[in-house]
Amino acid sequence: MRQVDHRVTQAWVPFALAAVCLTNPAAAAETNAKTGESIYRRLCAECHGSQGQGVREEYKEPLVGDWALEKLTRFISRNMPEENAGLCVGEDANLVAKYIFNAFYSKRPPARKTLTRLTNRQYRESVADIFRKGPDEPGNREPGLKASYFNSKGMNKKDALKHKQVDQRIDFDFGAAAPIDGIKAEQFSIAWEGSLRTRETGFHEFRVTTPNGARLYVNVNLKDGDKNYRDDASKESQHALIDAWVSSGNKTRSETARIFLLGGRDYPIRLDYFKYKEKTGSIRLEWLPPRGAWSVPGAHDFSTHMPSRQLIIQTPFPPDDRSLGYERGSYISREWLEATTHAAVEVANQVDKGLGVLSGARAKDADKVERLKRFARSVLERAFRRPLDKEESKHYLDDRFKGAESPEVAVKRVVLLALKSPHFIYPDLLIQDKPDAHGIAARLALGLWDSIPDEQLLKAAIEGKPASRKEVAAQARRMLQDRRTRVKVQAFFHHWLDMDSEHDLLKDSRIYPEFGRESISDLRHSLNLFIDEVVWSASSDYRQLLLARHLPLNGTLARLYGKKVEGEGFQRVEFEQGRRAGLITHPYLLSTFSYPNNSSPIHRGVFLTRHLLGRSLKPPPEAVSFKENELDPSLTMREKVTLVTRERTCMRCHGTINSLGFSLEHYDALGRWRKLENKKPVNAASDYETEDGKMIRLRGARSLAEFAVNHEGAQKAFVRQFFHYMVKQPVDAYGEKALENLHRHFKKTNFNIISLTVEILCLSSMHGLKTTDQ
Amino acid sequence: MPELNAWAKNNRSMKTHNRRSFLRGLGLSGAALPFLAGLPGLRGKESAGPMQRLVIMFSPNGTLPNQYWPNPGENGLSLKPIMKPLEPFKDRLLTLKGVHNRIRGDGDNHMRGISCLLTAKELHRGNIQGGSHTPAGWASGISIDQEIRNHLQSQDSTRTRFGSLEFGVAVPNRADPWTRMSYAGSNKPLAPIDDPYRMLQKMYGRLKDRDSVVSILDDVSEDLKKVAGRLGQEDRSLLEEHLALVRQVEQDLKRAKDSSDNQHAEPELDPEIELVNDNTPQISRMQIDLLVNGFANDMMRVASLQFMRSVGQARMRWLDIEEGHHSLSHKPDKDAKAQQKLLKINTWFAGELAYLCKRLEETPEPGGDGNMLDHTTIVWLNELGKGNNHTLDNIPFTIIGGGLGFKMGRFLDMKGSPHNRLLLSLAHGFGHTIEKFGNPRLCGGGPLDLG
Repeated sequence: MRQVDHRVTQAWVPFALAAVCLTNPAAAAETNAKTGESIYRRLCAECHGSQGQGVREEYKEPLVGDWALEKLTRFISRNMPEENAGLCVGEDANLVAKYIFNAFYSKRPPARKTLTRLTNRQYRESVADIFRKGPDEPGNREPGLKASYFNSKGMNKKDALKHKQVDQRIDFDFGAAAPIDGIKAEQFSIAWEGSLRTRETGFHEFRVTTPNGARLYVNVNLKDGDKNYRDDASKESQHALIDAWVSSGNKTRSETARIFLLGGRDYPIRLDYFKYKEKTGSIRLEWLPPRGAWSVPGAHDFSTHMPSRQLIIQTPFPPDDRSLGYERGSYISREWLEATTHAAVEVANQVDKGLGVLSGARAKDADKVERLKRFARSVLERAFRRPLDKEESKHYLDDRFKGAESPEVAVKRVVLLALKSPHFIYPDLLIQDKPDAHGIAARLALGLWDSIPDEQLLKAAIEGKPASRKEVAAQARRMLQDRRTRVKVQAFFHHWLDMDSEHDLLKDSRIYPEFGRESISDLRHSLNLFIDEVVWSASSDYRQLLLARHLPLNGTLARLYGKKVEGEGFQRVEFEQGRRAGLITHPYLLSTFSYPNNSSPIHRGVFLTRHLLGRSLKPPPEAVSFKENELDPSLTMREKVTLVTRERTCMRCHGTINSLGFSLEHYDALGRWRKLENKKPVNAASDYETEDGKMIRLRGARSLAEFAVNHEGAQKAFVRQFFHYMVKQPVDAYGEKALENLHRHFKKTNFNIISLTVEILCLSSMHGLKTTDQ
Repeated sequence: MPELNAWAKNNRSMKTHNRRSFLRGLGLSGAALPFLAGLPGLRGKESAGPMQRLVIMFSPNGTLPNQYWPNPGENGLSLKPIMKPLEPFKDRLLTLKGVHNRIRGDGDNHMRGISCLLTAKELHRGNIQGGSHTPAGWASGISIDQEIRNHLQSQDSTRTRFGSLEFGVAVPNRADPWTRMSYAGSNKPLAPIDDPYRMLQKMYGRLKDRDSVVSILDDVSEDLKKVAGRLGQEDRSLLEEHLALVRQVEQDLKRAKDSSDNQHAEPELDPEIELVNDNTPQISRMQIDLLVNGFANDMMRVASLQFMRSVGQARMRWLDIEEGHHSLSHKPDKDAKAQQKLLKINTWFAGELAYLCKRLEETPEPGGDGNMLDHTTIVWLNELGKGNNHTLDNIPFTIIGGGLGFKMGRFLDMKGSPHNRLLLSLAHGFGHTIEKFGNPRLCGGGPLDLG
């Protein structure tokens, strides 16, 4: 390694053959009985090892890759042995290539389904659902928050309810006036309540700004009746996330606090506000969602229904293993064990605090103990994803209640035990080889939601369903309607499109002063909207992801990208012929894979190679840094990249990378269309060589997209990556032809993503069963 | 389910029983180690100088001056009825008359009474309206207990885990200028914790969680072993790895538990006290026990103990008083019945103070000379001089204990000194020789000479 200063972890040779130094020229004369193997021994093995395993000090990478035989043959005859090219051509090259290809190059270790634990996401989602009270998808959601306006009198902040309405957001400047007619300007109070829907999982920061008094509650159970309306509700009142009740100093104050929330769920929210004799009245509620920017949450973030509190783990977890390209619970570490232990304690303490509400058992109830026991049983059954048998009942439940000092302590212990139990942590533990209905239900819930089966699934499983493929498909289709499926599918796209890595999208503000954190946050939302729109439309057509000519944009973004949007919010904006091609040209991705001051064909090319086309790249043989300021400033970006990667060792990968990256040169660092770059016309044409050695002429983004949608390799890459993310097991472990079959289904259904999802779930959840209709 | 019926039968009061069992189940019951205050060796470091501690004890709604101020006698003090419970500590007591809270500005006298008591600085304008005067917000400066805490925390030899702990007794769960006396700074009120169980959790919580984990790890190991046996070799290794780690954690936790069982003297709390008004006497004693325990284990060197709040309406039925305290405090002097009740109330507060003194006095100073009271200065104060006229003059200040170099066993009339000067004396007693505290215009003459 010369220098490790590579901003890009780019590009590596799918395969390379090293130099062979012919120490014994006589050996070359022995030409009788030539086989591929003998040629390999003679010319190649010294550097590549007898079985292609590699040789330290020579060429240490194993000879494994995804090139087709033709391409391998061509490569050998042109380049091998390195520094002596030409020694192995024609029939020799054919023979040796065939030998290498069959003996080790194209062979992968046989895939096998392995036992894995819950991933972090699965652990958090499951816990939230174990303690979820009732379904949280009400039929009639009305955007906005319920607002109650009160006249207040002296110290009674809510003396008389004067008016009710639905407010779209909390961002009001009343000045010296009253908020509505019929209320005194000097003193009044307002309460907003409803639910807040999160977009992504992570820490959410909230900010309340007011010169008056306010309290913000997030994810707490609100009281029945009028207790919420008393400002001195004493110790019964819930813990406010932000308590800014006392105005002090007659200045506008901002207070912030943060809380970890899971994405795509509804949380109860309430803001109490009052003004008392201050000169002015104003109140604003803002939030900073994960990977977002500070903004005022609007009507679509709120709805007027009141969901129950959710049990959300605040304990941080160490990251899951992603070495195979998707998160898997494949290792157990001390950090992970401690994190899950803390999490279990945190949950047990939270349950203990809210035991009355969760279990419905009150101290006065004569049947309190029975109720607590019933609750403990439901925790176990949800966590283990199946009813307890007699022995388990005794061990996990009865013995706890018998042994503990009180039923409350017993519940706490049951919760701890349930969350630490292998039956919770390893969901596929005892059903690997032949799942029963509960096993199928468990796999379905993990596959679609990363969570536990819901009541309907559990109920069906008790009746032995789903058992047939038809029943499994029907359940999967029902479960698709649940919001958690959308959240998981979106999480897949974040993974596929590398939106879940930490990229700094901020650009050089001297060149792009109009591009700030708000633009980045809006663009991310635009991309999410686009994905949702395509995936959940009737045709759910994968090809639209790459071919669509429109983008969802709001007013600010539209201006930035040279368009106009009438009205509020995000709207569909059509682009000129050839200028946009779905995801490939979405400005969020284009600016993710850019330098702060210009496009980066290398970053874009690597992304397209790996993610869109699903091809493997090895790390660069030597690190070369892209030092733009040492290059001739009159060159275009394309010329600079070509210059820096011109070495033959570089071009083994950069041949692929550059050709793909260059096809996006019409887009600047913000993803805006450009005709000129560095005062020269953009050249976005390139020749791309496929896995099987075919040369494809690409004329720009659109032509790349058209190639990709029709290219079987890219289609299969999508199916494979989707399968891996959803199921968290290698697709090859589900049969030699599993990927083939899924791909065939995908093609047959006009590349319907929803249909593919159901197909994947049928295959994975019934794995191990021999059914007649599978 | 026979065992469930047994539950019900054996427990006439399920609630009561459960609280006790709950704590016991977590290893914190009365059966836990006896209350051992101040085991030598608990301190990680030797103090540079003699140990010094401070307690601020607040009781609300003014006092009855003629039942409070002692008569100066030739041979020590002759205490008036309210102060009678403090008779055993008469020689270690210093009562100061003529110290006035001179802070004016926004807020009624109750508000300024409590929120300026330790800050000695004006309140911000705000939206909290009292019974009279203008509305107000929080105090505009740090309180003296926090000032001294920060001073102690700034040095290695006096730094402790918490620095200070704020205890409350029957403080309503609302944050406003009537309920707060400690401030970390301008606009930064500190909430006292009035739930002894929560305070216990804060002081010893991690131990409690650790014990619950230890209690289930055996079962987890068993489970892992059982299911691992049913798996193929490749999958089994993951579970075996898991099991090995669980055992490792189990051993670490047990070792930690063993060593801390020998070190920490977790206080014995009566686990059956509900946080309701009528249990105030028990809650008070629990909080005082915790406070003394925190000192003994050197978790902090500054504490406050806040009874109720300014304008508090506690109904002290345990004293056979049905009316709320604040309403009673408004009755005219000639209302003999009310006077009698207020006498009882204030005497009760003095009794709680006496209990605190006693607990400190009977605990030997860990690693040092004498007892803990020798090294602890307690300041008992009130937001008003007198309840029915809402005066901020002649605030009843009583100092008990030792360690700050004050000459005790006296009754002094400071003849109208702003209370800023008394707060300065406390700081100087800790070697924190600031020249001004609170409103600088009220600091003329510097600290009161109490030596």
